[in-house]
Formats: sequence, C-alpha cells, structure tokens
Amino acid sequence: MAAGFKTAEPLEYHMSFLKENCRPDGRELSEFRTTTLNIGSISTADGSALVKLGSTTVICGIKAELANPTVEAPGKGYIVPNVDLPPLCSSRFRPGPPGEQAQASSQFIADVIESSEIIKPEDLCIDRGKLCWVLYCDIMCLDYDGNILDACIIALLAALKNTRLPKVTVNKATCKPEIDLKERHELPVHKHPVGTSFCIFQDSILIVDPTADEESLSTSRLSVVTDEEERLCSLHKPGGTSLSAEKLQTCINRATARQREIQKLIEKVLNSVKAAQ
Amino acid sequence: MSPTRLCVPGDKLCSVEDCILGTGVYLRHGYIYSSLAGYVLKKNEGEQLPVISVVRETEVQLLPDVGAIVTCKVTSINSRFAKVHILYVGSTPLKDLFRGTIRKEDVRATEKDKVEMHRSFRPGDIVLAKVISLGDVQSNYLLTTAENELGVVVAHSDAARAQMVPISWCEMQCPQTHTKEFRKVARVQPEYLEA
Amino acid sequence: MPTDTKRVRGPEVSQSPSLFDCRPSVVPPSHGARADGRQRDQVDVRPVFVRCGLVSQAKGSAYIEAGDTKLLCSVYGPRETERKDETDMKCGRLTTDMRFAPFSCPERGSWIQGSQDKNFSLMLQESLQPALCLHKYPRSQIEVNVMVLENSGSVQAHAITCASLALADAGIEMYDLVLGCSIRQDGSSYVVDPTYSEESNWSSSEHQGGLTVAFLPSLNQVSGLQSDGEMAEETLTAGIRTCIEGCYKLYPVIQQALVKAVRRAQPPPPES
Repeated sequence: MAAGFKTAEPLEYHMSFLKENCRPDGRELSEFRTTTLNIGSISTADGSALVKLGSTTVICGIKAELANPTVEAPGKGYIVPNVDLPPLCSSRFRPGPPGEQAQASSQFIADVIESSEIIKPEDLCIDRGKLCWVLYCDIMCLDYDGNILDACIIALLAALKNTRLPKVTVNKATCKPEIDLKERHELPVHKHPVGTSFCIFQDSILIVDPTADEESLSTSRLSVVTDEEERLCSLHKPGGTSLSAEKLQTCINRATARQREIQKLIEKVLNSVKAAQ
Repeated sequence: MSPTRLCVPGDKLCSVEDCILGTGVYLRHGYIYSSLAGYVLKKNEGEQLPVISVVRETEVQLLPDVGAIVTCKVTSINSRFAKVHILYVGSTPLKDLFRGTIRKEDVRATEKDKVEMHRSFRPGDIVLAKVISLGDVQSNYLLTTAENELGVVVAHSDAARAQMVPISWCEMQCPQTHTKEFRKVARVQPEYLEA
Repeated sequence: MPTDTKRVRGPEVSQSPSLFDCRPSVVPPSHGARADGRQRDQVDVRPVFVRCGLVSQAKGSAYIEAGDTKLLCSVYGPRETERKDETDMKCGRLTTDMRFAPFSCPERGSWIQGSQDKNFSLMLQESLQPALCLHKYPRSQIEVNVMVLENSGSVQAHAITCASLALADAGIEMYDLVLGCSIRQDGSSYVVDPTYSEESNWSSSEHQGGLTVAFLPSLNQVSGLQSDGEMAEETLTAGIRTCIEGCYKLYPVIQQALVKAVRRAQPPPPES
C-alpha cells in the first residue's frame, strides 16, 4: 500500500508524513542523516576524503601541481574546485559534459572557498611572481540521494585538512624548482566552513538535509554556510517560494549548531587517522 | 529442513532429466544452469518432475510484457491518444521510467467510435491497463483499457483536488464539491486495490 | 585548445610536482621478489576485497579493491533506450562507460574523457556482452558505469570483474560471471596482476607487453582478450593460461561476495 502510494502520488505521500512532523525515513524535520567520514583513503591524491550523508556519497581528491601565478596576483596560488555528477551516481545524470546542477555546484563551492577564506591563496605562493601551487579539488558524487552541497563542503574541508604538500626549494643557479616528494607539510586551513541545506514545502514546512525525493518535490531550497566564528560565509536560495526572516534566522541557528558537530567529527577522524599511522 | 541453496550466475544446478526449467535458469548441453544470483527453488507442480527456478526478491518481472497488467500515470492527453508513465507491472514497481500510449480505439471495448479522450482520462490519473504490444521502433508500449476491470482507479477533481469516488463506469464524483467528471472508470478488483 | 566553460578553470598550464623530483626514481627490479612482496613468475594475485550494493540509487553495484586499486561500478536499467534509432526490438543493448577520477593516477587526469577511457569502455563492453542474456530485455538498455577511484594497476581486469558482479547484483540474467586478470611480460619473466609502477616501468626492451583476459569460469570460455607490446606466440598462449588460472583464484571470493549480498538483501524463501 505504502509503496504504491509513494510512486503514484509522491507529493501527497510526503505531505502526509510532514503533517505529522516526521519524514518517510523516520527522521524529524530538523534531523540530519548519519554522517560518516573517511579521510586519506586515496593514496594517489595529495589529500582525500569520503563523506557519506545517509546514502549520499561524495569523494574529494586534491592534487597539487605547479604553475606560474597570474600577473594581476603575483603572490597568489590557485584553487580549482570542480564538482562532478557522473551517471554512475544516479540515473538522472547523463554522460557527457557537466550538466546544469554540476556547474552550479562547482560555482557554489568556488564561492564558498573564496568567501570563507578556508585557504588563503597567498599560502600557495612558492616564489612570488614565478611559481605557485595549484590545488585541484576534484569532488565526485558516487551515490546521489540529495543534499550534495553539504556533503561536498564536508568532503572538501576534510580533504584540505588531510592535504600534505611536498617541500619545494628553488634552485638559485638554474631557477628550477626541486621537489622532495617524501618530505611533506600540512596546508594551513584557516576556517572551517560547513553547509546546512534546507528544503521548503508549501511555504512553511522546513526540513533539513533533504533526500533526492524531497529535493525534487519541495517548492524551494536554501543552503547556509557558516564557519566556527558563526560568520555567515554563504547563503544560497535559488528562487522558489518566499521565506520569512524569522524562519531564515532559525535556519542560520541550525547551521551554526551543525558546523560545531561537523568540525568535531572531522577532528575526531583526523586524530584516529594520525593515531593509526 | 535443509538450508535453501544459494547460487550465482553460471552455477550448474542439475541435469535436465531431473527438473523442468523455471525462471532464472538456462539450459546448456543437457544441464540446467543458474542465470541469476539468488535462491534455488524446486517446486512440484503436479508434473512428474519438479520445476527448478532461481529467485531473488527484487524484480521478478523486470519489463512490461504483452498481456501484463500495468499501473500507469497519465502524463498528457490529446484527441487521439493518452501518454502514460508505467509505474508498476502487476504489483512490482519499476525502478526506471517506461512510457506507454493508450490510443483512442483502445480505451473501451464498445462504441469505440464515440470515445472522447478528455472524457476518459485526465493528466495525473492513475490507470490500470494491459499491454497489447511492445510497439515498434518509433512508438512506445501500446496499452489498452478495453475491459471492465481496466481504466481509471484514482483521479482528483478539478475543483478541489480531492480524490474522487466512482459512481458509474463512466463517471466519478468529487466528495467535496459533488461535481461529476467523466472517466473510463475501472471496476477495481480487490487484488489491485493497493494501486 | 578550446576552453572548457562548464567547469571552474585553473591556470592554462600546470605541471605535476613529480617532474621536479630531486630524488632519482626507483626502477622496480626485474628479478627477485616484487615491490609488494609477491612472487614473480607465479599466479600471485593481490587479495581482493569486494562488496555489492553500495550505491543506493543503482539497480546493482559493486566495489572492488585489489591492493590500492579501487573501483566502483553501478548498473542501471533495463530501461528505455535513449536513442530511438538504436532500439532493438529483439534484444537489449549494453552500454558501458569507464572513467578515471582525476585524482586516481599519480599524474592528475583531465575531466574530459580521453581515447584511453574509450578503449577501456569498449573492451569492457565486449567482454561482458557474451555473458548476458540480452534477448530477455527487448527494446531496453542496460547501463554499466565504472569509476576508477584509485589506479594501482590492472584496472581493466578488475573493472571487468567488478562490472559483472554489479550486473549480477542488479538481477540481470547472465550465462556466467565474467572475471578479469592481467599479466605483464617483462623479458623472460612475468608478473601477475601488475601494479601501476610495474605496468609503467620495464627493463628489457624486447619481448615485453601486457595481456588482459576476460574469462567465464563456469562455461570455461574467454570473452575478452587484449594484448599490447611484443610477445612471442608461445609466451602469449602461456600468458593466457596464466590469466585463466588467476581468474580461478578470484572466483571463490566473487561467488562468496555475491551470495552474501543475496542473503543480506532478503531472507531465504519459505520451503514449499
């Protein structure tokens, strides 16, 4: 009965749960799915992390390469984040160049990096005007069950915390860089931004951490990114129905609480990774 | 009771002389092999030999087949046909989208020339139908509702978006506004009630 | 070069730090024990870890880990064919897509699919097709997507194994499982299930090459074969035999993983 109702009348099915202040998967409206984190599992990357939010799975691998800085910013390196939604992760994505959602997600992550100052581009400078690091942050979704933005930000943050850059010395005589791949140092991560996404049903019902079904049925979405100082790094609400200022404040409060939980989780996993080494 | 045997594709199950082929198995060089990962099931069906099948809970029948009863949702209508999405084959939900078409002449069995599509279906209706053909390269699955048991099972009224109650084989009524709307209504059988 | 407007772009050129490595690179020895302690000239495959049903959205999925090689495969369908002109009324279609994550290799890869990926996808399709009962899925297509998360050698072989496992997990009817195994011939000796460095470095200039075999273990048939480099006929035949032996070593692990997945998905049906 329930399964038939769900496929035939998905919106009514979800609304019947939301009216009772719960959700089809048994969560409360402001409850996140279980978040699990695996850091440093990809040895070919300079830093990596795998995040699971319920079934949603996102992996982030960071590769550092050398490049010349731009003339406009001689003392800055590059951070190049890209989000990929391959056909592997859901039947809704087709092979080929990135679709609208992947492009929008990449841009959102790029904006979060810039506005939150998670990494300062100045830290990536090796030789002013001549040589700098490029951090390719490639984020890939492996299982799409909604709320990839939150998962992407956690994966990115954890992977950056895990990144070890090799030591570079510039040979004075030849002006060529010399790199010691064995000797590596940590990357300074200045801020810890964490995202919290919401879906809005019928102008008034707010749910956190939506699944893919909930995302497609909701009337509007909202993503709030805050850091450990409770600064608002990004607030993204792409169209949809309106939201009262009061509700928005509730969302921001939920986001700051979530930021603390995730930062703790990342520290915990990083410590256990270090202890295992 | 012996524990039920599990097998993977390619496992040799028995000789063709011991069993009759069921589902999830194939015959090769006189032996029956499994073509699925699942449980081996032997059933005696009155024949001399038991029928051997390999079953797994998910998707007994994966694709709509000719003669299968399907549950679908109407997506669009025009004067000649209705387009539908097939949601269920029997009581098995389909994971991927399959499209079907109900042509005007396949809506009902009698007075076919008097059928008007908009008086039979509306977009959003849940319809029980039977597959009559897999269609050809250009077209989708062809479906029919030309049986008493087939037709609209769930419909919402235009006025109040409330679920309507069938009052005859061609009319449904809104419980709130009491307006009547025309549909090709199915006489619902108990086993399909879950749809 | 055309600019990619659909991704966040970095600098026009960037170079991998390994190009400027100040330490001399270590060439793996061509005799004696292998870098990971395995035996040369013997069917010494890396132990594999396999798991089915990790991707919730897919009909079936499988993950395989052999040494540091990590692959994820998901199967979608059977569903309506996308391109109407390719709809086959009698038979289903199998489409394969194999991709490398940009961070999967020691050198960063591009997001854009190269010809290497396409070759891999094609070999995958050709190896799997003979094992599938495609006639049971008229006018529909079955999609196999493989993602290489970390490439530590023999990806092609493991992709074949992983994909057949995912297909079986999806409940697609198959005549048999397909297992893959690779060897690398280097002069007179060979290594089975080579690692990335063993694949890319070799000492002797002649009589060297790679061989990948896709094998149906129950039917005892070879469904895919790819060889590159230069090998004598006898070496090649011996190599194929070695690969088949390697596949048989994998077989019980794969069977068990699949049986475990079935048991996890549902309790045994009641005896009738």
